Amino acid sequence: MLASAGIIGTIGRALLLVGFVGSVFGAFAAITGVRNNEPRVIRLVSRFAVLAFAAALGAFAVMEYAMITRDFSLAYVQKVGSWSTPALYNFAAVWSALEGSILMWVLILSGYTLAVCFWMRKRMNESLAAWAMAVMMIVLAFFFLVSFYPANPFANGAPGVLDGPGPNPLLQNHILVMFHPPILYLGYVGVTVPFAFAIAALVTGRVGEGWLLATRRWSLFAWGFLTFGIALGSWWSYEVLGWSGVWAWDPVENASLLPWITGTAYIHSVLVQERRGMLRVWNISLLVATFSLTILGTFLTRSGVLNSVHAFSESGIGAWFLSFFAVVLVVSVFLIGWRGDKLRSPGVIDSPLSREAAFLANNVLFAVFAFVVLLGTVFPLIIEALQNRQIAVGAPFFDRLTVPIGIALLTLMSIAPVLPWRKASAETLQTRLFWPAWCGIAALVASLASGAYGLAPLLTFTLGGVSSGAALRQVVLATRRQGFRGLVGRANGGMIVHLGVILIAVALGASNSYSKSQELSLVAGVPATFAGHSFELTDVIEVRDDRSVSVKALVIVDGGKTYEPAITKYTRIGMNVGTPSVKTSLTSDIYLTLEPPVRQDSNTAQIKIFIKPMISWLWIGTGLMAVGTFLAAFPGRRRRPTDATSAPVLVADKSA
Amino acid sequence: MKTKKSIWIAMLLLTGVLMAIGATRSGSPLTQQDRIDSLTSYLACPTCSGESVFVSRAPAAQAIRTEVARQVGAGLRSDDEIISYIEQRFGGQVLLVPRATGLDSLVWSLPVAALIIAISLLVGAFARWSRNKPGAPSAQDEKLVEQALAEVSNKQSEG
Amino acid sequence: MFSKNLVKVVSGVVAFVLVLLLWVLIISKPSDGQVARSPLLGQPAPSIVASTIDNQPFVLERRKGSWVVLNFFNSTCVPCINEHPLLVDFANREFEISNGAELYTVVNDDSDIAVREFFSKNGGSWTKLKDDNGAIAVAFGVARVPETWIIDPNGLVRLRVTGELSEGLLEAQLDKLREEFTS
Repeated sequence: MLASAGIIGTIGRALLLVGFVGSVFGAFAAITGVRNNEPRVIRLVSRFAVLAFAAALGAFAVMEYAMITRDFSLAYVQKVGSWSTPALYNFAAVWSALEGSILMWVLILSGYTLAVCFWMRKRMNESLAAWAMAVMMIVLAFFFLVSFYPANPFANGAPGVLDGPGPNPLLQNHILVMFHPPILYLGYVGVTVPFAFAIAALVTGRVGEGWLLATRRWSLFAWGFLTFGIALGSWWSYEVLGWSGVWAWDPVENASLLPWITGTAYIHSVLVQERRGMLRVWNISLLVATFSLTILGTFLTRSGVLNSVHAFSESGIGAWFLSFFAVVLVVSVFLIGWRGDKLRSPGVIDSPLSREAAFLANNVLFAVFAFVVLLGTVFPLIIEALQNRQIAVGAPFFDRLTVPIGIALLTLMSIAPVLPWRKASAETLQTRLFWPAWCGIAALVASLASGAYGLAPLLTFTLGGVSSGAALRQVVLATRRQGFRGLVGRANGGMIVHLGVILIAVALGASNSYSKSQELSLVAGVPATFAGHSFELTDVIEVRDDRSVSVKALVIVDGGKTYEPAITKYTRIGMNVGTPSVKTSLTSDIYLTLEPPVRQDSNTAQIKIFIKPMISWLWIGTGLMAVGTFLAAFPGRRRRPTDATSAPVLVADKSA
Repeated sequence: MKTKKSIWIAMLLLTGVLMAIGATRSGSPLTQQDRIDSLTSYLACPTCSGESVFVSRAPAAQAIRTEVARQVGAGLRSDDEIISYIEQRFGGQVLLVPRATGLDSLVWSLPVAALIIAISLLVGAFARWSRNKPGAPSAQDEKLVEQALAEVSNKQSEG
Repeated sequence: MFSKNLVKVVSGVVAFVLVLLLWVLIISKPSDGQVARSPLLGQPAPSIVASTIDNQPFVLERRKGSWVVLNFFNSTCVPCINEHPLLVDFANREFEISNGAELYTVVNDDSDIAVREFFSKNGGSWTKLKDDNGAIAVAFGVARVPETWIIDPNGLVRLRVTGELSEGLLEAQLDKLREEFTS
């Protein structure tokens, strides 16, 4: 044991150093190779990519080994490891704190770098590919450096420590902790790939459509995982945190949402670039913004600038991310300013009533959405910098501003799928929107019949109906024409994603507006009612294991199953964690929490009950979005340049 | 065409009426817990970063929730009075909705300004595009065509 | 002409805004161990009726006539642990002088057992008050620990220190307040 103490740490650090050097050399090789036109040097890049990935994988494996064997010679294992943490959670404990999550970032980024290198292996001599690899290597080098020095997971801990507190209790009681961070990182980190190509396009001056089409699947892949990761985070918040909501607009959530917003804008506006060759500089700017926002988000959540803990504290990692953020921005804005004007396309958009225009409107809305979220998140810092006082900007602000944006986006989603490219006439719209409009009215009637009220939710439901009709119409027409191939491809997969988004919007509208709650003092054997449901406490029990003591209240809901909301005290850390218990159904969830103070030996319990309408539709919508993204990745019907566009350009509009 | 248009007008009217009915009716009455939840949604947890007292599981938030629940249960104070009670002790940083006065109002006005600017830019872009339509004949071209037509008709009348 | 350099102009504007944003982010820093503001300064202290961890009753109003120092504490918070020796010194000093201040610890979100263990290991025999539902903390507007409050013999709140105490800070502030009080 003593002999291995220090060896594990040394091996880990050595691997990180190898990775850092490898990626630096990789960047160097790519840049010098492409500038001096030496294919032999460029071939070295792939070797360095393999080296960097092997080093990252090795370092991560060493970290997991140390965590699994509970090697308390490492400070990080002392921080989040424990003999009493179950094996699965112990494995996930590696990414439960700063140093380990940076290590995971390094692993995933090196994986992406290697994958891009492999994908481009035959075209590496092209300047665009070489520069893209260089950018990825530079970003990878930065993260290796951060992991090697300020956020070192292999630092030696205090001697003589034999056990640790384990990860934060909130990260120890739900299996989702195994999936949410890696999936989110696959998206978050994956954004680096299109960014690298955008920078490469600026540097080489080749912003034609080729690289765009080539990186389409990379962007979609990253975006899909980012979407799914954010949704999983909401689900975790719902199942674990106990406040019965899915989204709290806190800085950690906003940090993941901001790149998603600009990424979604990009996915739409890139279609305009493909079709009409326009918006090139705008799309590059969106990619730069998306990547920069991932760095800014990491800064905001890791630097301690916004994150307050139980007592006053401070962390030094923020300066590193802030500097990197500054460098990324300076370089990107300079490149865009230098190259941008030469790269603008002379094209125009013919009519405000066309699909191109709809995508432009979409981008405007998403840009404002991103601005609102960013402003709200950093505004407390701005006020503190200018007036030295502290304020808070939270959910009421964000809700108030994003609801109108959401409704505007739903409206756009109702019209855009039926809009043809280039130009539409009122007649076309009238015909195509007829059945979707009736879907909207049907949705409105159905909501009124089930008791809905209030302008914002009703607008959401109605527009949800219209936009579902528009999306379904597209899918139905496509499947009629092409059978099963009508379900794959960008447009059709995209419509299924839209359906998922609509379900989510409707679910959020319903649950935000119509949730009800009540706190009941239940006595064992005496049923109580609330909102048409009955609740009967049968017992209050205590469950002990070697890391926690749980007090559980056994409550029978509606005379059926027993639900067990609990309060768990993690004895090693001294932290109390409430665990909710949820009865799910398609129409509404019944969400139970046990409120302190609890007395294990009594036969009473304070139970707080939330009735949350339509929450399950959120998860169904997420599933649809995942399916749609997957379908969209397949190639659709190949469009030949001689194909007619989706609607004839009306010639006789002078007489209309 | 006319019947299509009138059907659309009827649909829009129907939607408008239904929406008006729905927007003006109210739901089931609020429970005491609903009132507590709504109040605590407007208070910021002092040890968190932007989480409301309603959301946060931190002990400070728990303590404020207990206090708000106690005051709501006592029924002596109005919503505003309860919020100012908490504000008097924790300072202005406990209000989750920034005020609409002074520098704080920027957080409300800037997004609106951004929206207006963005929409004007879009409208301006469309205006510029319709002016610079490629392929549309310019004034010079029109003149040349006129001249050529005049020459042709002259030749015809001569010849 | 404007349109030709549109991208340059827009980049310039964006760069300017980003420089401002960076400046804001750079100068944000949390502070520590400071004499802080509170709406309660100069006001009568909130009425506290609580029990000690030995289940003895405690009423703040009955302490009028002496200087009262309240220290909000949690046995796992690092700055609390760091400042503890300073409080022990302070308590000893006040014990020696006549009309010495009374020091009370308000336990913030911690178990009695942990607090007892901490004090038996690290010294400090003054009274510790229980605050199970956080009512005392809310009454004073205390969200984070450690915080130290000084209340004068008339029951008015005179000082609030947020964060870890520095050496001699509490003694110096108390002496200053004593002078103002008697003059």
